Amino acid sequence: MKMNLKAKTGTKLLLPLVALGIILSMGLSSCKKLLDTNPQGAYDESTFPFPGGSGPFDEYLFGAYRDLRLFDVHVWGYLHAVSIRSDDADKGSTPADGGANSLQMDNFPVLSNNGLVNALWTGHFGLINKCNNAIFQVGNNTGIISTPEQKIGALAEARFLRGYAYFNMVRFFGNVPLFDRLFEDPAAQNNIPQSTPAELYALIESDLNFAAANLPLAWDNRFIGRVTRGAALGILAKAYLYQGKWAQAQSAASTVMNSGVYNLNTPYAQIFGESGENKSESVFEVQATASAAITTANGVQYANVQAVRGNGIWNFGWGFNTPSVLLANAYETGDPRRARTILFTSTATTPGVTINGETTPLGLPNERYNHKVHPATSFVNQYNTRGAWWMNVRILRYADVVLMYAEATNEIGGDANIGLARNAVNSVRARARGGNNAILPDITTAAQADMRNAIRQERRVELGMEHERFFDIVRWDIANDAFQIAGKPNFSQSRDKWLPIPQAQIDLTRGVLKQNPGY
Amino acid sequence: MKQKPITFSDTLSDFKRQTLRVMRLTLCLLLIASMHVYANGYSQKNISINVQNKSLKQVLQEIEKSSTYRFLYNQGVLKNVDKVTLQVEKVTITEALDRLFAGTDISYRELSNDLVVLNTIGSELPVDITIKGKITNPNGQPVPAASILVKGTSIGVAAEANGTYSINAPDDGILVVSAVGFATQEVSINGRATINVALAMADLSMDEVVVIGFGTQRKRDLTGSITSIKGEDLQRMPNTNPITSLQGKVAGLTVSPSGRAGSAPVVRIRGINSTNSASPVYVVDGVLHDNIEFLNPADIESIDILRDPSSIAIYGLRGANGVIAVTTKKAERGKTRINFQSTVGIQTVQDKISVVDANGFKQLYDAQLANLNAAPFDYTNYNANTNWQDLVLRNAIINTNNLSISNNTDKATTLLNIGYTYQDGVLRNDNHQRFLVRLNEEIRIHKNFKVGGEINGTFIKDNPPAVGITNALWAAPIVPVQEDATTYYSMPSFQRAQVGNPISSLNRNDRTSINEDYRLIGTLFAEWKLLNDFTLRSTIYGDFRFSNNRGYNPLPFTVINLGEGAAPTERFLDPQARTSVSQSSAESRRFQQDHTLTYNKNLGDGHNLTGLLGFTSIYGRSSSLNGSRRDTSLNIPNDPNFWYLGVANQNNPIFNGGGGSESSIVGTFGRVSYSYKGKYLVNATIRRDGSSKFAPENRYGTFGSVGLGWVASDEDFFDNIKSINFLKFRGAYGTTGNANGFSDFLWRPGLSNASSAVFGDNIYTAVQALYIPDSTLQWETVSGLDIGFDLKMLDNRLSVGATYYNRTTKGILTSVVIPNETRRFFTNLGEISNKGVEITLGWDDRIGRDFSYNVSANFSYNENQVQSIGNNLDFQILGNGGANRTITGFDIGHFFGFRQTGVYQTTAEIARNPAFSTSFPGDIAYQDFDGNGVLTQADRQYLGTPFPPYNFGVSIGMQYKNFDVNIEGQGMAGYKIYTERRTSNFATLNYESNRLNAWTTPGSTNIEPILDNTRGNNFLFSSHYLEPGDFFRIRTIQLGYSFSAEQLRAIGVKSARVFVSGQNVFTFSKVTGYSPEPQIGSILGGGADNGSYPVPSIYTFGVNLTF
Repeated sequence: MKMNLKAKTGTKLLLPLVALGIILSMGLSSCKKLLDTNPQGAYDESTFPFPGGSGPFDEYLFGAYRDLRLFDVHVWGYLHAVSIRSDDADKGSTPADGGANSLQMDNFPVLSNNGLVNALWTGHFGLINKCNNAIFQVGNNTGIISTPEQKIGALAEARFLRGYAYFNMVRFFGNVPLFDRLFEDPAAQNNIPQSTPAELYALIESDLNFAAANLPLAWDNRFIGRVTRGAALGILAKAYLYQGKWAQAQSAASTVMNSGVYNLNTPYAQIFGESGENKSESVFEVQATASAAITTANGVQYANVQAVRGNGIWNFGWGFNTPSVLLANAYETGDPRRARTILFTSTATTPGVTINGETTPLGLPNERYNHKVHPATSFVNQYNTRGAWWMNVRILRYADVVLMYAEATNEIGGDANIGLARNAVNSVRARARGGNNAILPDITTAAQADMRNAIRQERRVELGMEHERFFDIVRWDIANDAFQIAGKPNFSQSRDKWLPIPQAQIDLTRGVLKQNPGY
Repeated sequence: MKQKPITFSDTLSDFKRQTLRVMRLTLCLLLIASMHVYANGYSQKNISINVQNKSLKQVLQEIEKSSTYRFLYNQGVLKNVDKVTLQVEKVTITEALDRLFAGTDISYRELSNDLVVLNTIGSELPVDITIKGKITNPNGQPVPAASILVKGTSIGVAAEANGTYSINAPDDGILVVSAVGFATQEVSINGRATINVALAMADLSMDEVVVIGFGTQRKRDLTGSITSIKGEDLQRMPNTNPITSLQGKVAGLTVSPSGRAGSAPVVRIRGINSTNSASPVYVVDGVLHDNIEFLNPADIESIDILRDPSSIAIYGLRGANGVIAVTTKKAERGKTRINFQSTVGIQTVQDKISVVDANGFKQLYDAQLANLNAAPFDYTNYNANTNWQDLVLRNAIINTNNLSISNNTDKATTLLNIGYTYQDGVLRNDNHQRFLVRLNEEIRIHKNFKVGGEINGTFIKDNPPAVGITNALWAAPIVPVQEDATTYYSMPSFQRAQVGNPISSLNRNDRTSINEDYRLIGTLFAEWKLLNDFTLRSTIYGDFRFSNNRGYNPLPFTVINLGEGAAPTERFLDPQARTSVSQSSAESRRFQQDHTLTYNKNLGDGHNLTGLLGFTSIYGRSSSLNGSRRDTSLNIPNDPNFWYLGVANQNNPIFNGGGGSESSIVGTFGRVSYSYKGKYLVNATIRRDGSSKFAPENRYGTFGSVGLGWVASDEDFFDNIKSINFLKFRGAYGTTGNANGFSDFLWRPGLSNASSAVFGDNIYTAVQALYIPDSTLQWETVSGLDIGFDLKMLDNRLSVGATYYNRTTKGILTSVVIPNETRRFFTNLGEISNKGVEITLGWDDRIGRDFSYNVSANFSYNENQVQSIGNNLDFQILGNGGANRTITGFDIGHFFGFRQTGVYQTTAEIARNPAFSTSFPGDIAYQDFDGNGVLTQADRQYLGTPFPPYNFGVSIGMQYKNFDVNIEGQGMAGYKIYTERRTSNFATLNYESNRLNAWTTPGSTNIEPILDNTRGNNFLFSSHYLEPGDFFRIRTIQLGYSFSAEQLRAIGVKSARVFVSGQNVFTFSKVTGYSPEPQIGSILGGGADNGSYPVPSIYTFGVNLTF
């Protein structure tokens, strides 16, 4: 009887216990397995099948190269900062188009909440961070099998791009935080105060010198336009020039000129547009391409935002960054560079004809457009779009190097040097002349000051609409005068030589970043 | 610079004061009600009597003659007393009797109704008397078969058919009168011989069960905050999404609807817990979902809203933002029923955004060009006056239908439901159609064993419109619409590139995208009751979704570019445009399993115990595929029959893509609910959760809750407080983990290889880090306290509930923008608290036989504060371009900017007052917040919150004979709306009417700045672009008529009701946008109105038939 009862109690407990057991064992056994999920159709650093190919760190470097094409690096804010701000270009498009952001860039002052300024800042720091990541991978990623030469080569490319990005930043903003390595701790990255221009230039020089020492002179056909020793030296020469380091600038520029890679053989009219890409004139170009299927993803919107803003087949782009009347008047009579630089649109009396031979319609919103970015008809037809995202951005071309050489050499002074400078300028003029001896006579002056003016004038017209003018007049300290002439009295060199530090970034750092003077 | 104390704290304390006032009011109400109880017990009557040497019996008769007192006694009580003398003047009965009986062995007891019972001291036995009376319902009609019981005895009778009864009971006894459907009533006899009892209808609300996660609980046993809304209250409102109908019905619940056809509202429960996702989880009959668009509102039995951490702890990681638990309808026992519901309505946009007409536009654009020193615009060819807004908006049809058939036999229960909804959007071409079927079956194989299941099928078809409403707000009114069906005018050159002709886009892309979404949700369960007290239940769920979208890019229309200045008018048909087709499909599978063992036992002596132990897991996978082809040689016809990829030859440009995802969560949990005599309640939960979102070492978290309740009204000392029917105090504390809305695998260093490096024309894959990974990512933990009371009084007519809560989220999972960085950083960061009160009031009564009514109101106040954020990072989180800021010590995502003080009128005024160096006359003048005499960025300040701290709702229901009327109103207050649509200045856009008052000359206005978009100072984020969102909306006015059973019998219908209804009929608000509903979808950058889709008024006619 007692036994029986016990047995019954046992059964009574058994069932729920079995049930409980089932539940728990299901829970415990399936828990671990269930939670072991994997990303679907996405890579992370441990699963990416980094290919061999040209270089083991290419994937990281390519990420940085890709950023060169970004809207926030070489397109919208960039064109405003380097060109629309200058006396050679106007905002363009229709009067109120682009809003306060654009109008401030044309007329000064630029306010610290200007969206273009913040975009330039984040775009460039994105590029800098990618360079630092590539440098970090070279130094720390033991999973990537590589030779010491490959490591040095990858470092050279990354440091070139970082040095170049910082050179833009120091010219835009003057004082920016210096990130010379990848910060794994975002908190540490956040609290870095700004460095002075001198400190930034030290990094730029060191990066570009390292790059110049370790980059190849040229790449094979698979990597046309990848950065070279010439590009590093050319940008380095410019960085020296901006600091008035004439001897170093002369040396860097002359090394490029003696490299045998570049020459002035390309006729001026053929340097630009699609056909002039990556010719012997090209020292550093942002590479872009397109296909009929993919019209924008491998391109850069640089040409599109400047191209003619018309209707129908004349709707090539946004029509911003138009050449100013001052630039139009800056050319010597008969200088063929004027027509290649400025697309004059048709008036009731004079037809405006493009490089392709098209006659522009009447009544376009602007009288002038940047002719250097007007797309060729053959490419428009090939890609079935007028967007021109495929056009490379000319960051540094050989004539610029020659003129930098001329400027540095002239500033060093002495008759011999002034003579060398004169020869350099004249070589540029000779090419522009295109065999027509009736125009653009050789410079003959032997006076340093006259030579200086001749070089400045030559830079203006040779490199018209090519990102040089604003920085040039600021570094030559002639900007206040130039903007008086341009009818932009709001400009004040002491304030407007630099853009304001974006308020958004100051806010994010809670005041670690300090505003530039005058804002 | 020192930060000044923030002025908003004053405003905030104002809010607090108001809140306190409301709470005080509630308290007063309670006190008054209870005092009323005591007042009844203190009736005072004076007695004067003068008798000499009379028998006691005679004296008593004298008193009875001269007063209303009556005496009750056995003759034997008086037998020991001789003649007595009593002389009193205006004394109480107590005084008189004390004197009279002094020195005798007689004791007395005063009962109600002036009845006095006499007894011999020491033998105070109650006297059995016969009591007769009638039991009626509130309408005075007899209640047959009511049971009348003498409390504490087994003596009882049943009432006759006419409601009368007769019972013998002690004179000081208590009668307990009860009947099915009525509230049990206790009546003290107090010696009365006739006692008529009017029974109140039973208040069953406390016995209703609510969903508590893997089980249900009686409302009266709850210790947390759960509100239950009946399906019929939702079905009254013709919303296609039932959640929209919850607006204003639940304290602490904020619902911001979207007017777009078929789209789901944004829902927040008790403020914003997380920077990441603040949306609640939906649980439909146990299955976790992110939305309930697959449900037919007519098919909902009830919705329970679980708000506090103790209630949601059992749901674990998906529930931290609150749980909306939906119970669908099941067949009613023993009945076969066919129900048909149908509504048809018209939606209309009541409050359009006021934009200028052609004349206004010309005036303003001229002024702007003049201010820019630009040449005037040539309007010669632009002489139309087009109201684009009117052209893109329309009155739209909404039609819902639902047919359900249910059957319930001894062995099985079946419910079949079919629904169809058709909704046009108020934006032209916007259309949403939904077909639903549901089959619910339960088979009782054995009395202890049942199995069942459900199949839920949904088909949704959407035709989204091709234009946004902003397009119509931006388009210049000077442009004519079209010449013919394929020739349209383009916008003027100043906006041609940015703004398209809205009607051209609408017509060109009319029904060119076909979005179809299929969904099948299946459930299978088995439930085994074993050993009386145990229930073992296993459920598996599958949720299968498939979407199939097709699209077509038609050839463009001919465009007429009207001549401007030298440019002639010309027609253009883009010869390069090609047709293209696209197809995309996505599928997802989700499996959920729940296994629970429940132990439920009445342990005797009032101890009641329910225990639950369970395991659950959810596993989901998805994949998608998309592609498109552009035809370069043949034009694909504008006919949906051709819109498949194969129609274009494979040599044409082809694009395709695809992706997938996988994630899972598991949880083990246990819960104990214990109650003692139904008065003392304890609920405790523990749950251990794991999520695949975190690194293996950080995957698990253990959370739990405990809740205590005390039903004070069941205590003995409450027997005397007759007017209070129910009073419960409750308190609960719980913690739960949260990883809602947070992407998978953020702890791993994710890479994107979507972009490319280009060299020459060679393209190479580039790799970029997607974000900065944080390998230590962990749960964010929500913990909170919830205390309150529930009260029912005055015969259950008045109900009051109040709750205070204080909830904190620690380690919030945040996507942080790092300065000088393009990659996001996802990390656990900071702490957010939400405190608040919720008050609900209800009154339910009837007047006379035919009129009954109820009024209910609720109010909630939530105070959000970021307790800490970025302490290890030392920065702030900015949203919406810096307009919103999240920073320690303030509420999340508040507006932060300059405060407008006026408009500078003259240069002299600028010189005198704080200003920017770039301020000019006509610019907005801002407050010099730091008082340093100039305007700098340091003058930005707190400008308010985008999230409504105050939510209130009121509802009135009335029923007269066969008519019923229902009015519901809802409002929110204390928040701001950012009219961001007015700040767009990327091109010259049409102006809103407020710009007609723009500054022109000194003294012209102190509000609207000059028309000049070079003046960047006027586009700084400031109070100029904020408006108070406060509103009160009459959500529903409904009049219904129910046909009586007699009227229907002839046509074989059991019940029938018809109604007309208006929704969003009146709005009291100063908001300039389409609707004042707060824009709360974005947490860190909320509140911006960019021309958000209007929430329309809807006028509906509906019918509800049951066979």
